[in-house]
Amino acid sequence: MNARILEADVGVVGAGPGGMAAARRLAAAGLQVVVLDEGQRAGGQIFRQLPVGASGHDRIAEPPSHEHGHRLIEHFERAGMDRRHGASVWDARPGRLWFEQGGESWLLRCQKIVLAPGAYDRVVPFPGWTLPGVMTAGALQVMVRGFGVVPGRRALVVGSGPLLLPTVASLVSAGVQVVAALEASSRWRALRALPAVIGNGARRREALWYAKKLLLAGVRLRWGWTVFGCEGDGRVQRAVIGKVDRAGRPRRDTARAIDVDVVGAGFGLVPSVELGLHLGCASRHDAARGGHHLVVDDAQRTSVAGVFAAGEICGIGGAEVAMAEGELAAAAVLHELRGAPIDAALRRAVAAERRAADAMLAAFAPMPGLHELASPDTIVCRCEDVTAQRARAAAALHGSSLRAVKMGCRAGMGPCQARICGPSLQAIANARPDEVMDRPIVQVPLKVVRSETIVDAPRD
Amino acid sequence: MSGRIEGLGERPVVTITFGGRQLAAFEGDTVAMALWADAQVALRQSSRNGAPRGVFCNMGICYECLVIVDGVTVRGCTTLVRDGMVVERGGKP
Ligand SMILES: Cc1cc2nc3c(=O)[nH]c(=O)nc-3n(C[C@H](O)[C@H](O)[C@H](O)COP(=O)(O)OP(=O)(O)OC[C@H]3O[C@@H](n4cnc5c(N)ncnc54)[C@H](O)[C@@H]3O)c2cc1C
Ligand code: FES
Repeated sequence: MNARILEADVGVVGAGPGGMAAARRLAAAGLQVVVLDEGQRAGGQIFRQLPVGASGHDRIAEPPSHEHGHRLIEHFERAGMDRRHGASVWDARPGRLWFEQGGESWLLRCQKIVLAPGAYDRVVPFPGWTLPGVMTAGALQVMVRGFGVVPGRRALVVGSGPLLLPTVASLVSAGVQVVAALEASSRWRALRALPAVIGNGARRREALWYAKKLLLAGVRLRWGWTVFGCEGDGRVQRAVIGKVDRAGRPRRDTARAIDVDVVGAGFGLVPSVELGLHLGCASRHDAARGGHHLVVDDAQRTSVAGVFAAGEICGIGGAEVAMAEGELAAAAVLHELRGAPIDAALRRAVAAERRAADAMLAAFAPMPGLHELASPDTIVCRCEDVTAQRARAAAALHGSSLRAVKMGCRAGMGPCQARICGPSLQAIANARPDEVMDRPIVQVPLKVVRSETIVDAPRD
Repeated sequence: MSGRIEGLGERPVVTITFGGRQLAAFEGDTVAMALWADAQVALRQSSRNGAPRGVFCNMGICYECLVIVDGVTVRGCTTLVRDGMVVERGGKP
């Protein structure tokens, strides 16, 4: 029995912009802080660092606006706190976080918890999406910017939303030829994001930086296009692409094939809410913010006492939102533990960043017609190998709610806990929407860990 | 097809074995990235006609990259390489 128990004032989950901003402020105020992050280095998704020993980030597609992110990493790494990388949080209760690190089972006892676990890619199933070489847009970014690995020779990037640009930029920097970059939204729909981009200096500079990067590489973003399917023997070798209508429905008459050896697909992001839901925090569904996200008050407090949240878990908004919310969450924790007043400027900053992000993301809200890409024998749930047809049959047979579909055909019941298929399962199975029943089902362990970790877990 | 971006600094080299074949990786690589750089894209077989699956999310959430290391099934994209590590293809999650 290897009981490892830690004590701290605050436990922070996630070392992305949200978690780093919160932890740095809390540590600066003299609180004892433990930060737990599954990744090997600080930075989270956006400011991802290469492994220790490697360097040269400026050459891997980082816009100038990322500089303040790297400054935040510096401050975060200099601040006095217990930073734990490679630490997966798999169970939680208010005041308690259970995690596995280096194969060992740990418990952190703390007075307050700040959740900043970020988000992951939203993917829409299409024929051939299970072939090796077809992956999320985020996976490509991690490959290039996190490990300096070249994804392939000829890439297709598809999806919707602002993250297609950094994905293309990463590939270009890695010397990959981006054969096509397809945005499912129409140019007209995307124009709605323009005021939010132009009206914000940092966003405007970033967009221009990416536009220049694409122009120099000769990559043209095509609006109103997407992937219809992928083919290949043992790995992706071809993709069929074509136009979609305004709802995202494929226009089959426009289909054409291209040769590619790697495909990155990202149709927006989904908040990583599992920890919050498991803790009992209230959530809300908002399509433009990525689906289910935690509800917080004007000081980043969730509905559960002692649990705070910052960043994408409160709804997709990007790194600026995450940082502002991290600062505010820290101020609220300091208010509760030390009686320090909460600076109104922090609240204003969060509100302003959220407004700007909402305005931009509204132009890329999920397009329901994209669910028609899946053919009857397309696998929807990759863990359990459930096809679209079987999911539909389960909906017809077991009652039409999403939960009944899951019970009926095991879709969404595998180890990924529906993180991949969840956002599209309902639409593809024609299940009836139900605000309460559709909340993601979360189970302990929230991350798959060794069985010894669970058996050895220190109780309280 | 794949490989490494050049000029990103030196990291110690380690050797791992995948499916009985030895290959070189860098310290700090995950198993999945070391294999990808070596053009090994199929990491597990699905239960359905044994179709190959590979890295999908590359951030630990999808479980498509399952491999067996020292008899234990792990996610290739969150497991770091170790010198002398023996890796086999994974199966159903
Ligand atoms: C793959 C990917 C690439 C992205 N690239 C860009 C980009 O180039 N530009 C851009 O503007 N935005 C990008 N984004 C958007 C990104 O979500 C935000 O901009 C920003 O990183 C969000 O900050 P955050 O602090 O909320 O979460 P994140 O930065 O996602 O950080 C969350 C951290 O929590 C950790 N974590 C989660 N769950 C657990 C757990 N149970 N136990 C332990 N640790 C856990 C994760 O390992 C991660 O490091 C990307 C998103 C993704 C998913
Ligand atoms: S690729 Fe998704 S968990 Fe490893």
